[in-house]
Amino acid sequence: MTFVLTNLVPGDPATANLGEQASSDPAAVAEYRRQHGLDQPLPIQYARYLEDLARGDLGQSQQSHQPVLTDLRAAVPATMELAALAILLSLLVGVASGVVSALHRNRLGDHVLRVLSLLFVSMPTFWLALVAFYVFFDQLGWAAGSGRLDPGVTAPANVTGLYTVDAVLAGQWFTFWNAVSHLILPALVLTAHTVGLLTRFTRSAVLEVLSQDYVRSARAKGLPERTVLVHYVLRGALVPVITVAGLAFGALLSGTVLVESIFAWPGLGGYAFRSATTFDLPAVMGVGLVIGTIYLFVNLAVDVLYGVIDPRARVQ
Amino acid sequence: MPSFLTRPSLVASLAACSAAVLSLSACAGSTADSASGGRILVIDTTFNLKSADPGRQFEPTGQTIGKAIYQTLLTFKGGDVTKPVPDLATYEQSKDRKTLTLRLRGGTFSDGSPVTADDVVFSLNRVIGLKGNPSFLLKGVTITKNDASTVTLTSKEPNLALPFILANPSLGILNSKVVRAHGGTETSADKAEPYLNRHSSGSGPYTLTAYSTTTQVVLQKNSKYTGPDDPTYDKVILRNVQTPTQKLNVQRGDSQIALNLSSDQVQRLTGGVKVLSQTSSDVVFLLLNQDESVGGVTADPKFNEAVRKGIDYQGLLQLAGKGATQPAGIIPSTFVGSLPPSEATGRDLEGARAALAAGGLKHPKVTLSYANDTAVGGLTLQPLAERIQAQLKEIGITVDLAPGPSATELDKYRAGKNQMGLWKWSPDYPDPSDYLVFLPGNLVGLRAGWKASADAELDPLVEKARLVTKSEERNAAYKEIQRRLNASGPFVSLIQPSRITVTAASVAGVEYNPVWTIDVADVRTS
Repeated sequence: MTFVLTNLVPGDPATANLGEQASSDPAAVAEYRRQHGLDQPLPIQYARYLEDLARGDLGQSQQSHQPVLTDLRAAVPATMELAALAILLSLLVGVASGVVSALHRNRLGDHVLRVLSLLFVSMPTFWLALVAFYVFFDQLGWAAGSGRLDPGVTAPANVTGLYTVDAVLAGQWFTFWNAVSHLILPALVLTAHTVGLLTRFTRSAVLEVLSQDYVRSARAKGLPERTVLVHYVLRGALVPVITVAGLAFGALLSGTVLVESIFAWPGLGGYAFRSATTFDLPAVMGVGLVIGTIYLFVNLAVDVLYGVIDPRARVQ
Repeated sequence: MPSFLTRPSLVASLAACSAAVLSLSACAGSTADSASGGRILVIDTTFNLKSADPGRQFEPTGQTIGKAIYQTLLTFKGGDVTKPVPDLATYEQSKDRKTLTLRLRGGTFSDGSPVTADDVVFSLNRVIGLKGNPSFLLKGVTITKNDASTVTLTSKEPNLALPFILANPSLGILNSKVVRAHGGTETSADKAEPYLNRHSSGSGPYTLTAYSTTTQVVLQKNSKYTGPDDPTYDKVILRNVQTPTQKLNVQRGDSQIALNLSSDQVQRLTGGVKVLSQTSSDVVFLLLNQDESVGGVTADPKFNEAVRKGIDYQGLLQLAGKGATQPAGIIPSTFVGSLPPSEATGRDLEGARAALAAGGLKHPKVTLSYANDTAVGGLTLQPLAERIQAQLKEIGITVDLAPGPSATELDKYRAGKNQMGLWKWSPDYPDPSDYLVFLPGNLVGLRAGWKASADAELDPLVEKARLVTKSEERNAAYKEIQRRLNASGPFVSLIQPSRITVTAASVAGVEYNPVWTIDVADVRTS
């Protein structure tokens, strides 16, 4: 599907990627098309693409002149590191806030949390990123600058591509703290929207579960409130929350382009944007494939979690 | 209800934790420079980079990097592109201007081996053979080795532009033995690019130590460099950073140079930084299609005259900010062969209306196409297009704006499908011959539907400009060509935007050059 869609877009990769003079030179255009296999009919291009894909070769990027797989190996971990921290913080804060909000229904705490969550959901993430960078980096000097590390700091040896993990594996604690310092602000910015979302969903799910008979029975049996809340209410409310969290994680992996741009974070979103605007078709298809695969695995993980949380959902 | 969930301070505690982590992160960041040792120069720019292989790169960031890693035969001093000066070689041109003899004057590659005539022949022939973006620079030029330190470049016609072309970093001289050992050839079968994207094989002031087209490029001082001035900084880091972040970084001292800020962005800069506003060599122009089947009314000379007189050029300059200027012709004011400012077209509303009336053109309507994701010196084409629309409305021309992403708009423009277009031309090399593309039957001329010999008066002028061997006569010929273009050509030169470079107060020696933007080896501490 990505192959068909990318080839349907009007525009010529040779024109988009060759310079003013070279694009009018038939020899240069012919050489470009030959190098990128664009001189072949579309069905043959597709067959070759599938053949290469079967060997794990996603082709060569027309922008970076490197294998797409090499580019993705650099971009995916950068976004994964950011998105993983963001979703972790979101789950911690969002679920807690949603529960607090539900338990304080129609009281001051509930109103405050609902307004805040509405604010977080409505706030454009790129705007928040700009404001946060301006306030915490430029004005207060609390946050580190752009990029994944300070200019003078060398990246740790590549094992996972996650700088924090690789720095720990290499025992480079200075690099680890530097990587964390660069990670925290963009992660908090991304967290804001997801926190708002999770707070609202958790509140609504908890309120629904609170009115269930089994919760009333648990309380009637005299179980401690903490037990009722954690083992009965939260467990029952987690199914819709996990669904939303899974979708939010997928969205974080593929939709962080503007935040990545502001924080000069070399992730998947920026790579996808650049590839799309320059007709870098192998890169666009590579990104499509990666994002599709990520969504698949996230959905699979969510389905498995359903069974863990709710015995009724387990496959017999 | 559990107490841990009912504490009203939960959110406040989380906020406090975040602030603490942020503070910690600032502490971690502040000690980074001292950990690495040596003088580090951090340059923020919006990357336009595809390759570090000189024979394949022809993008602005690639040119900056190429200039730092590879020496060329000739070069320019600072920002003065009116006179090529020796770099690896001295030069002498024959009287008929068809032969250029270059004598090497030393030079040592980063592996310690000397630069030879064989390296020069290989490097230049490789650029031609690769059939890549910069191959056109040496079109029709034959490269011959005379002896171990002399090379001759021969052209079929007088080629006064060649010394200016040879300063281009795409024509940087490679260590032929090393490149050949890594798959380098003088044909399109060359396989050396992956190697040259990881290592440098040049004799320039810096070597390449890390390379990414999306993140950053790191250059380390070349200890074997034998050029005139030893670079001040031990390490140079070019980072890919968008403009709003560039501004904050340079303001905060996280970077020392920001290359892509607009005039609006520098107005509110704080932090004791220096702002250098210079006139760029990019020319923004209007294209009026002369092919009636595409252009319709734009093919009418009276419409053309009305547009030329109806534009308020000073109004457009206000948008472009300090340092911007109005070119008097299609050749930018910073190049030899440009027209003096006194010959620039001014606004003449009565004349414009009279031209429309003389052509019998009542309320003409045209579509203006342009790329809305293109910025020139921080200025996007969108506000320019809007102002042109408003200005032409005053003389009765209705302009419909048709913006689009450059990936699709470039296709239409290059195929000659714009009725009216708003585009820019960035010089390939700083010589007036680069602007012959705007003439009938040539590259940009054809995009405007201006077929060969469409203007009989231009042909002899072009012939003269191509064949004369004396610089003064040649410059005069180019001026005549531009006067004719201004009178009846399908292009209206609008503005040369400003080129703004912001540097930390501690940095000096930064000078804008239209070919490689800045020479990082010239940057020093103030």
